[in-house]
Amino acid sequence: MSTNNLKLLCTKFNNLKINYVITRTASNWKPPKYRPPYWYMPKERVLTEDNLTQDNRMFIKEIIQDKLQAQAAMESPLENISQTETMQWTPGKKRVGLIARKIGNYPMWDKDGKKVLTTLLQVIDNHVIKYIPPENFKPMIHKVKQPQEHRRLGCMLVGAENIDPSTVTKDYCGLFNSVGMLPKRHLCRFMVSPEAALPTGTPLYATHFRVGDHIDVRAKTIDRGFQGVMKRWGFKGMPASHGVTKTHRRPGNIGAGGEKARVWPGTKMPGNMGNRWRITRGVKILRINTKHNIIWTLGVAIPGETGAMCYLFDTVLPLKKHKTSPPFPTQPPLDNLPLEYYDDSIHEFESPTISFEEI
Amino acid sequence: MIFLEFRALSTLPERVEEPPQEEPKEVPQRRGPKSTNPILEHRHIYPEFLPDPNPKWRNSLREKMERADMLKRRQQIDIPEFYVGSILAVTIADPHAQGKTNKFVGICIERKGCGLRAEFTLRNVVDHQGLEVRYDLYDPTIDKIQVLRLEKRLDDKLFYLRDALPEYSTFPLDMDPEILPEGTPVPVNPLKVKLKPKPWLERWERQELKGIANIEQYLTTTNRLNRKLRQTPWEKFDLMKQYRKTIPMEEQSDIWSEVNNQLQQLQMARKKMARKRTFTAPKTQLG
Repeated sequence: MSTNNLKLLCTKFNNLKINYVITRTASNWKPPKYRPPYWYMPKERVLTEDNLTQDNRMFIKEIIQDKLQAQAAMESPLENISQTETMQWTPGKKRVGLIARKIGNYPMWDKDGKKVLTTLLQVIDNHVIKYIPPENFKPMIHKVKQPQEHRRLGCMLVGAENIDPSTVTKDYCGLFNSVGMLPKRHLCRFMVSPEAALPTGTPLYATHFRVGDHIDVRAKTIDRGFQGVMKRWGFKGMPASHGVTKTHRRPGNIGAGGEKARVWPGTKMPGNMGNRWRITRGVKILRINTKHNIIWTLGVAIPGETGAMCYLFDTVLPLKKHKTSPPFPTQPPLDNLPLEYYDDSIHEFESPTISFEEI
Repeated sequence: MIFLEFRALSTLPERVEEPPQEEPKEVPQRRGPKSTNPILEHRHIYPEFLPDPNPKWRNSLREKMERADMLKRRQQIDIPEFYVGSILAVTIADPHAQGKTNKFVGICIERKGCGLRAEFTLRNVVDHQGLEVRYDLYDPTIDKIQVLRLEKRLDDKLFYLRDALPEYSTFPLDMDPEILPEGTPVPVNPLKVKLKPKPWLERWERQELKGIANIEQYLTTTNRLNRKLRQTPWEKFDLMKQYRKTIPMEEQSDIWSEVNNQLQQLQMARKKMARKRTFTAPKTQLG
């Protein structure tokens, strides 16, 4: 009798045992997987002390200098191709863009004497590194076979700013070695029409765009850190006085009750402000310097602080697109270019003082 | 006793060892070799050629382009040497004015901005109405900048003229230029202005202004107390603050050596023009 009872008790206790834990997850959602593009190579390297002698260091410096000189002396592949051989531009075609550095703002004056503020963008050592034609370009790798889609744009890799090869990984250097170049600090992907494809090693200059053109500029905005609701979203805050305590810069109510008794997704709240990719569209080019490859653009709305990198494209705004053929696929290097191009509306600093005639 | 034991364990010396007295060496007086550099004196005459010292906005190439543009503009128009307190006549092209030009005479009460953003403000009283006009120094519509009286005042900014009696900022619009003999230093006008009674636009008593004569008579005890409380006498010893506000001497000498050649040429051209003007002046008087 007693053993029977004991067995019963044991089974009861066994039933109480928790062998498994249920976790509640949304079955249909998985976090997005980061898939780097297949041409991507990790760039950052853990810098180690190599214990090199002074001679060795000098030797490495010499080699880098030689390579730089060889790169500068390299003939642009476009020089041998005559203008007639290259494809003709038609309105739907997509050209390559540029990588530039924002170097500051200063005012200029237009021909009516009105002051306009400009942003200076410097195009540094831009070279075409790789071109992947549309049929070979498959950015996403899917487990399940996807239906065949028709790709019409190829992928062009453009690098900017030479760096010391010893500061980056060997794999990253390999990307550039195949073109016979030193590694670049920035590498960017541009989607281009197959007609606008360029041979690898082609240098790109500021004259890729013309004065008076409109461009789109993509850059990261200034990082302002964790900001409150007044600075981040422009909320009004609460009164400074009249018995208000401990709530002067706070958001106040963030949701209703009843059916909606929760915080709705997308509610404006404090958080990290800035450091986001943003595109300013339809920025006009006012002036171009061919020696230093500087582009002056109208306005100060280019995202980012001084020294930020930005990517320049032909604009997609329908009314500001190219009306006539731009340099297609790009401007070949010429020796007899004028030093500076000015837009028609802009007063040149070397031209005489503005005067208005009596009508 | 315990105390003494611990004392014995301590590694510190029982008595403070006096450092060996060194004989005072003859230290040569620190006089920077560059302080006598004549190029650096340009910073008073052409303050706008120095960039903004804020490191967030610095970029050597942009500054170089800006300086080149400034020099290009200076080839077109003679921008003379002037200071806050000088009296200027500015002729500007104006599409809305009769005859399409506009001339304004006034005392320079402020000069600020770096590079092409440089600007100055002129103040005058016309028909009992105070007028202030702000001009961009490199505005291409400016036809002529003429210095009628070259002098400095006791302060860096003369905003207190707005609250001073109107005679201190009244200048005739047909003033004749006063020519200083060549080589004389710029005179400092020790004029002290009289303020109108309160209300004022600013709390002038807190700004340590040297050019006001009668400020004490308008102050209450509260004003004086607040002035004392708000004083920051330590700020003139704050070396870091000074450093952040200025461009280092090495960078300055680079900048000045870059533009010095062209500035010298412009100065020579101006001197030639001035000589011509003095030569032709009597003729017009005769006519």
